[in-house]
Amino acid sequence: MINPMLTPWFVAAVPLLGALLGLSIWSQPEKLKTWSVTVTLGSLLAVLLSFFTLTGSTEGLLFVLLLPLAASVSLLGQPVHRDHRLTWVVTLVFLGMGLGILTLPSPIGSIALALLLGFITFLLYWHHDPFWGPSWLGIGTYGLGTLCAGIAAMTGSAIASLLACMILLPLVPFHHGYVAALTRLPGSLPSFTVLLLPAIGLHKLAALIPPVSELETLPVIVLALSGALYAAIKALAQSRVRLLLTYGSLSFFSLLWWCVAASRTVTPQAAVFLGSLALVTAGLLLAWQVIRTRYGDDVDPRAISGLAAQMPQFAVLISVLALAAMGLPPFGVFVGFMGLLFASPLTLSIAPFVVAITWLAASWYILDLVQGLLFGRKRPDLRYEDVRQSEFASLLIVVMIMFALGLAPTNLFEGTPRSTDTGAIMESVSWNR
Amino acid sequence: MEPLNQSVNMETRRMELRGVIRLASEVIAQYWPMRTFVHHNPLHSLEYLPFEETVTRGKQFLGGNGYLPSERYRHYLRVGRIQAHHMKAAVAPLARNEYATIGLHRVSHGKVLRACLAEGLCAPTEDPLDARWEHDPYHQLDASIADRLETVLPNPNLDARVRGLVHCDQASLGQWMTLSHWCDQALGTTVVDQINRELIKWCGAFLDEGHATWTMPGREQGLYLAWKALAVHEWSPCGISDSRRKISGLPDYPEDALLESLDALGIPANLRQNYLSLQLTALPGWAGFIKWRSEERDYEWQRAYPVEVVKYLAIRLWYVRELVRQTCREELGIEGTYQSVTDYMRQRSKEYFLRRERVAGRLPAIYAEDVDRLRHQRTQGWDDLYERYRSDVAPRQLRVARHGAAKQLRSLALALQLDPATLMTTAPDELVRLVEWMKTFPESDHGPVWLKAFEAGYQERLLGALARSPVAPPPSDVKPELKRPHSQSVFCIDVRSEPFRRHLESSGANDTYGFAGFFAALIRYRAWGKEHDTEQFPVIMRAKNEVREIPRSYLDSIVSKHGARTRMVHAGHTLLHDLKENVVTPYVMMESVGWFYGLPIIGKTFLPSLYRRWTNWLQRLFVPSISTTLTIDKLAPADTAEMLMAEQQATIRQALQERTSLRSSQITPALIEALRQWALSGDVEPDAALVSAAPQAGLSAKALTIFVTVLRQDYGINPRSASRQKERITRTGFTLDEQVLTMDTVLRIMGLTRQFARLVLFCAHGSTSENNPFESALDCGACGGNEGKPNARVLAMMANNQKVRERLAKNGLVIPSDTHFLAGQVDTTTDAVQLFDLEDAPTTHRADIARLTQNLHEASRLTSLERCTRFPDIAEPLPAPESIAHVRRRSVDWSQVRPEWGLSSNASIVIGRRDLTKGIDLGGRVFLQSYDYREDPSSRLLEVLMTGPQVVAQWINMEHYFSTVDNEVYGSGSKIYHNVVGRFGIMSGPWSDLRLGLALQTVMNGEVPYHEPMRLLSIIEAPREQIVKLIGRHEVLRHFYHNEWVHLVALEPEEGIFYRYRPTGEWVKTDSGAGV
Repeated sequence: MINPMLTPWFVAAVPLLGALLGLSIWSQPEKLKTWSVTVTLGSLLAVLLSFFTLTGSTEGLLFVLLLPLAASVSLLGQPVHRDHRLTWVVTLVFLGMGLGILTLPSPIGSIALALLLGFITFLLYWHHDPFWGPSWLGIGTYGLGTLCAGIAAMTGSAIASLLACMILLPLVPFHHGYVAALTRLPGSLPSFTVLLLPAIGLHKLAALIPPVSELETLPVIVLALSGALYAAIKALAQSRVRLLLTYGSLSFFSLLWWCVAASRTVTPQAAVFLGSLALVTAGLLLAWQVIRTRYGDDVDPRAISGLAAQMPQFAVLISVLALAAMGLPPFGVFVGFMGLLFASPLTLSIAPFVVAITWLAASWYILDLVQGLLFGRKRPDLRYEDVRQSEFASLLIVVMIMFALGLAPTNLFEGTPRSTDTGAIMESVSWNR
Repeated sequence: MEPLNQSVNMETRRMELRGVIRLASEVIAQYWPMRTFVHHNPLHSLEYLPFEETVTRGKQFLGGNGYLPSERYRHYLRVGRIQAHHMKAAVAPLARNEYATIGLHRVSHGKVLRACLAEGLCAPTEDPLDARWEHDPYHQLDASIADRLETVLPNPNLDARVRGLVHCDQASLGQWMTLSHWCDQALGTTVVDQINRELIKWCGAFLDEGHATWTMPGREQGLYLAWKALAVHEWSPCGISDSRRKISGLPDYPEDALLESLDALGIPANLRQNYLSLQLTALPGWAGFIKWRSEERDYEWQRAYPVEVVKYLAIRLWYVRELVRQTCREELGIEGTYQSVTDYMRQRSKEYFLRRERVAGRLPAIYAEDVDRLRHQRTQGWDDLYERYRSDVAPRQLRVARHGAAKQLRSLALALQLDPATLMTTAPDELVRLVEWMKTFPESDHGPVWLKAFEAGYQERLLGALARSPVAPPPSDVKPELKRPHSQSVFCIDVRSEPFRRHLESSGANDTYGFAGFFAALIRYRAWGKEHDTEQFPVIMRAKNEVREIPRSYLDSIVSKHGARTRMVHAGHTLLHDLKENVVTPYVMMESVGWFYGLPIIGKTFLPSLYRRWTNWLQRLFVPSISTTLTIDKLAPADTAEMLMAEQQATIRQALQERTSLRSSQITPALIEALRQWALSGDVEPDAALVSAAPQAGLSAKALTIFVTVLRQDYGINPRSASRQKERITRTGFTLDEQVLTMDTVLRIMGLTRQFARLVLFCAHGSTSENNPFESALDCGACGGNEGKPNARVLAMMANNQKVRERLAKNGLVIPSDTHFLAGQVDTTTDAVQLFDLEDAPTTHRADIARLTQNLHEASRLTSLERCTRFPDIAEPLPAPESIAHVRRRSVDWSQVRPEWGLSSNASIVIGRRDLTKGIDLGGRVFLQSYDYREDPSSRLLEVLMTGPQVVAQWINMEHYFSTVDNEVYGSGSKIYHNVVGRFGIMSGPWSDLRLGLALQTVMNGEVPYHEPMRLLSIIEAPREQIVKLIGRHEVLRHFYHNEWVHLVALEPEEGIFYRYRPTGEWVKTDSGAGV
């Protein structure tokens, strides 16, 4: 039996060790991929074994369960290619760091967060595209995030923590890092970071938000609602899939910000909503990866059509994912958001309209995207091949998790609140005042 | 003089235009209404061209593939359906006497071509998917070969590519591409789709044949004027601005409107024919139906609502001109004319290239966005973008092309069983030569080669089987004493008859013969109680005689009872229909009687066989069937006059009931006759008898005068109509000479001139299926897509006529007095046979009939058993009783998309004696036409067969061929989406072109073709010199054989050797039927 104090270290160490061992089979991409997937499953097992000894914030322990699963599906959905080896290993490293941040007490968790953001900033710089202007904004935002996380780790500053949270769980105007991460990071990283960073953000926010007064949350609410509208409009205007999904998820994360700020609490429903939203976005990113694998990274989505008849398995899976992403029952996004709505006081009368517009916009752009891909004429110059086994498994797992999150009782994921953390933050907030 | 000159000039232009349209519409096939589905070649009008060229035309105009996908042929090669030696023979004409050296090995051009075919080396090779999954162990080798190719492989630069594209598109514009299509292709608009939707809307409404509850007003003016009258009220159709003014300003003549549009678009005179062809092929179904209607002047709907191709084109071109102009102005700031568009392509070629690549989906996403941005902002950044593309994307594309070539070379080495590593030691020039060979034999050129190899396999097998049978007949002067068969049955040449005939022959001493199912009786037939005639003859012929079904004379009281009950049923149906279609009543009706409809739904779904039996029983109970006969003999002049008078009197009685308020008792025979006489006389004043009879009936003199005018005008009681009626009545039946000629022809063609059995059966065929708009496609094609029952009855009645027999005997064709002719019909869905007019059979033949019935049952059972092995949904062979039940269930199952396979798998026609094919299992793939050359020294009968049944067989064959190779274009797609439109055709879903050809389920078994698409193999047992003479005499035969639409093989009777006829006109001896 592992000592409860050591449990978080054990949970975080499994993927990190796995990443280290993976280097020994660096020259064999197929084996490395299999190994990486095995490590993520091992991490999941480690989390399950130590589930009852882990302590969590008010949002519960859902994320420590979802992170290994998200890493696993992100790895499964990638083609076996030597160019992707680095991203597989980095995914394991991110998983280890993410589990550590979620389970280790402060300040170790905060230091790990600063390291993680620094690492992502470096990766973004490495994959920087001079032709794409917002790339610098993304690097800058995560650079700021690294700084804030570092300050928070060293000083316990609530403002720095809140800023870091706004960057992690993206809130307009601190969303550029999130946009850059999802569009510029290579291989399996975007589909994993879409859960990892917001999950960490919510986790940090759970400790940060309760002591804040109603008045102090007002700017956040305004930012959240205007951000939701802005992101929905941006998503509607996108023709590139990763940007569309990024802005689409950003609009929903903004709604989450609104709910959390309005209720000044992070409930397990918020975690379900975030987890579902991030996973379904990851699923759609993986579905788009299926297309990119076949027709090239720079393929124009409007040039691809008629997949329903040619790739029936893919068509069914992406359709189900689209339904989940549009917030239809019985998937997690719907259940989580309903739970959030019931728990949130409607502080601004404009809020329901923003929610409705965001929802309607999502129905429009997601349906438009999927419809364009699945229907229309088959192109004679393209080779159509349905999803391969690992791609199918990856998408299917996402769909099943979406079902599970929609159907499972929310209290299933509730953990023991970590009182010390909350206390420390409360003190710092008081001090700052 | 000036206006007169203008008028003459205009008329000349109209005439000229009509000629151009006639030629332009050659490319589209006629579309027959589905109730008389006619199998035909969808590219029939182009049969004057070689097969391969026609296929190319079909691809250019209709976008249809003319061959199966190469992968399917490769599958056939792998499973042995295509033999390697047939492929080799098919490639041989393309192979050059050239060699390349790979390492130390010399490889011939032919060998490379064969490898390309067998391994698909010419297909696109470089896919991101392949590169990403890293399953290719030759990745490194490919990269090395690609590096070696870098210096030697020609690298076309981007500017040259752009120039090539512009040149190609300029040449295509008007020739293979319309301006509207150009807009869609270059600007990403949906002009063609918009126009199609408009045309479908208008054509659907105008051409309706009683399907619509509310019909389009003004149809009697014709399509163009009716459209003009209505479209002028539409608010901006397709977003065309100021459409009302523009439409109202159009000329009244469609020719003038069409010319105006062509002038506005600036289409050069030399391109107009092709341009109009392209416009017609945008909706080949609707245009084909209009073409058919315009050529059927006597068709009742055409008479009522005339439509012509020129009217259709006038409407279509108006939309084209407006939308093209609007699109070009908005998008490019140019006029939408031929000249301005070609100028644009030339002057702004870089912009054009980028736009076109964007629409084709070939630009990377980031460039696609930039193109969209430039398009919306209308800025001048095209050159910069083009330069960026040149420096960024073009080199990548070159690299991909080199890698693709390397991969092709490596695959070639493997296919030739060489070590791919030898490519690294091969001279670069040799590598380039190999790449060039493969490049000049692209996948698109493989189809004709594959087809020849595919056909050769089947031909070899069939001719081999025929060669093994005893082919040499006894000389014509030797008449061996044969044992008299129990029966002789004549079946349609339809391929479905082959298994049935084989089984009937095996079940007893029964001989069988094949003859086109209309049995040489070209009749227009009206069944008892029906209001419309059916045309019981092939569509390439015309009817000479009319035949009516009438109750037998002893059924007086039963006939009136039958008539009354039929009318009641009809009235009930009409009532229900009206209640359903009315604006208000459906709401009430659904509530009150809607649930009654649940009964048939449940019955048809869960207990289809039982439900069918039950409804049949109910029908028999309420409207018992009555025994009928046919009007075979011509009427005497007195009878004709009497019949005419009776018809006219019935019409006047009906008119009096409809137009006056007279009671039945007031409508006396005397009044009717007086009115008839007056109406026919043409006098202005009534005669005295009528003047005195009218007041008794309550009619004033003025009312009488008005009524007679109505009779003359609306009811056709006038001398001219009477003359037409009389002519029609005199067409009823056959003269004795005609009967004798028909019988003589039929019997002699088949060689049935001696050894008559006691029973001779003329067995027609029909089919039974539920919920099947294409039901008539399963009936007899030789009977115009109808059941052949009337024709069989006509023939049997003629043959039993003693006067006919006497005359035949005088011609040397003696039919024994104890021979009785029977008529019957086999249901090709259930294999059940029904015999007709048995009450006319002599009592002495009861035992013979009983024996024949028993044998027919046995043949039916065996045929069902055989057919059940071919249905894809039956995995295990069924026992006999179950197979019979199964085929019957299929015929009544309304969810069954494949009640039977129909004529699918047809491949050949044999014109010769049955002895050639007797006992050979031909798998239901061969049309069998009986013919004995010894009875036809002048080859007069052979001429009939080669220009009649063979043509029909070729139509059927080509219909199946094209429906299989490209079901979406030449076929009608999946039955699941079929919707009946206007009672004459089908559309896919609610909005599509009229679907041509056969349904997917008719020719395909899932993804695999059930029908093997091959050109017809025609095997004729006759002397070659006679065949050659006939080929010389008939253009259609020259087109068939010289243009390779049909493969001809002659069996030289005296030698017993098969000779193949080459397109060059030579005969080549084949041993046991060699392939290509």
